[in-house]
Amino acid sequence: MTTQPIVREFEADLTVVSAVEAASDVVTLTLAAEDGSALPPWTPGAHIDLVLGEDLVRQYSLCGSPADSGQWRIGVLRTPDSRGGSKAVHAELVEGARVRVRGPRNHFPLVASPRYLFLAGGIGITPMLPMIAEAEASGADWRLVYGGRSRSSMAFLDELAAYGDRVTLLPQDEAGMPDLDALLGAAAPDTLVYACGPTGLLDAVEQRCSASWPAGSLHLERFAARPADPSAEADTGFELVLQRSGLTLSVPPDQSVFEVCRAAGVSVVGSCLEGVCGTCETEVIDGEVDHRDSILNDEEKESNEFMMICVSRCRGDRLTLDL
Amino acid sequence: MRDRSTGYPRNAWYALAASAEIGATPFGTRALDTPAVLFRTRDGAVAALGDRDAHRPFPLSLGHVDGDTIVSGYSGFAYDRTGACVRVPSQQHVPYGAGVPAYPVREDGGLVWVWLGEPSLAARRPPVPVPWLTDPAWETFGGQWETAAGVGLLHDNFADITHVAVVDPVISPPVLAGVAPALEVELTETTVHFQREWPAAPMPEWQAKISGASPTAAYPQREEGAFLAPGLWADRWDVLVPAEDGGPQTFRFTHAVTPVDERRTRHLWRVSRNFAPGQSVSDVLRPIFESYYLKVREILETMQQVIDRDGYGEDVNVAADLAALQVRKILRRLVADEG
Repeated sequence: MTTQPIVREFEADLTVVSAVEAASDVVTLTLAAEDGSALPPWTPGAHIDLVLGEDLVRQYSLCGSPADSGQWRIGVLRTPDSRGGSKAVHAELVEGARVRVRGPRNHFPLVASPRYLFLAGGIGITPMLPMIAEAEASGADWRLVYGGRSRSSMAFLDELAAYGDRVTLLPQDEAGMPDLDALLGAAAPDTLVYACGPTGLLDAVEQRCSASWPAGSLHLERFAARPADPSAEADTGFELVLQRSGLTLSVPPDQSVFEVCRAAGVSVVGSCLEGVCGTCETEVIDGEVDHRDSILNDEEKESNEFMMICVSRCRGDRLTLDL
Repeated sequence: MRDRSTGYPRNAWYALAASAEIGATPFGTRALDTPAVLFRTRDGAVAALGDRDAHRPFPLSLGHVDGDTIVSGYSGFAYDRTGACVRVPSQQHVPYGAGVPAYPVREDGGLVWVWLGEPSLAARRPPVPVPWLTDPAWETFGGQWETAAGVGLLHDNFADITHVAVVDPVISPPVLAGVAPALEVELTETTVHFQREWPAAPMPEWQAKISGASPTAAYPQREEGAFLAPGLWADRWDVLVPAEDGGPQTFRFTHAVTPVDERRTRHLWRVSRNFAPGQSVSDVLRPIFESYYLKVREILETMQQVIDRDGYGEDVNVAADLAALQVRKILRRLVADEG
């Protein structure tokens, strides 16, 4: 008899209750259980997977109200995506359609703070909507700078209008690119920075914050993996000790920790398998981790307490995990 | 050494009392290291205020309820359900801005749930409904007490029931004494569900006796546990008795856990069943469950003493601890979110 535990995330087939064009190339989907039963709770910054087909899984931030347990709302941008994820959403997920979802999970949680600077680029506005609602309710001092290609491409402008001059809209064709030096050149006291948007924006934000802001000030979410470091040396193999399972395995250079665990029959959860979704986060007991993910910040990487086993590896010969 | 204590989030609904305990007499308690007083106003609603007179350090719970206000037994200051001071005996006007904190309250399942964290979040994080506690299809009894152990030890305990056969062989379904089948764990951002399908085995003798089912026949059994919120566990045990022998027998176990402080926890437990109805059966079951939960309390208190004396160790975890580790992970994050 096997005693190896099986772990997985909540999964359900939900119905598209409404599909509304929110801006050019952006559709907002409202999802609910067919029988109206309550969906799992979530907090601002959370995202879900849409399972669009075999090997076609995409992450979308929840952008409705966490108090509404009856339905979830997501915003989807149609992108020239080679694997067709967002195209499938736009073409197939019409009102009444069914879609498999997984999650929610949250690697972009809103940490309590007296002040916030929210920076959104394009569809990166979605996780910000529940965040600013919560910041506003708590009486925090906050500001949102929201950039996009043009006003017509920027979703949720109607909802944001209610916040008045806390929100700065920067349609690129009218206002140019956001002046990140002015926004982030000097650290503001007691302020957390939340950023979500295209990779270029996030890289630029990260660079400025690491230069002049206290560690831990910046929270960002990437939905695309950071490009591999070209200077990195070739991957090496190492010994993998799974303490709870009582197994010692070997990770060859061309396989991930996640793959080796799966192959050995150890139940591990994973979703994106490219270090962006955070599902496979695992506690490290011993060994120096070579972090390759796009989730943990420098401080968290330094602590060596957790790792994303889908992409991260070991710098030494031996890695011990709490699995 | 890594600090293994997770602490507890403040931004959560915690049960501070059973509904039946709250009336027009002030009920003083302590949760999250915060003194609170509960009382019922004339419309039947429960008010929850900080249990400390704004005038002098004297608990309001030692005063009395007067209509919709609570009156300090020392200064005579009266406070309404919003915590505002509305009357002081010694002068005409009320000192500007005088008051005590007021906390959001919801009553559900015969329990009084109070939000002691960031007030603006209470409406954004609705409490998890517990309809079975008041559903007539389920017969419920329970108890409550304080356990001198941190809430993390209670979470660890509810996340794995394989210790039941060791702690209390009488209450334990006999099948629990064997090797546990694979645990299936389902995660969401803030919840952990787990279940096991146990092989067919007899039910415990006491259960056969109250339900009239066969004490020797083997029935498949199913275990479920759910960490639904930092203050709420809802577990169940199904014995899949076929319809011709009386149908499935299900117990639901509800545990509301409320940190009093780092080392003490209020534990309100409820046992609900959908078979063998009647008060007389509950009277038979109560001492069986009470004695088991008291044994658990004693064990957890001993663990807290060991931690106090020798610190957190590098505990060895086994496969069955998977759910406990996921619960800790969620709690650590929720605590970190509070800044």
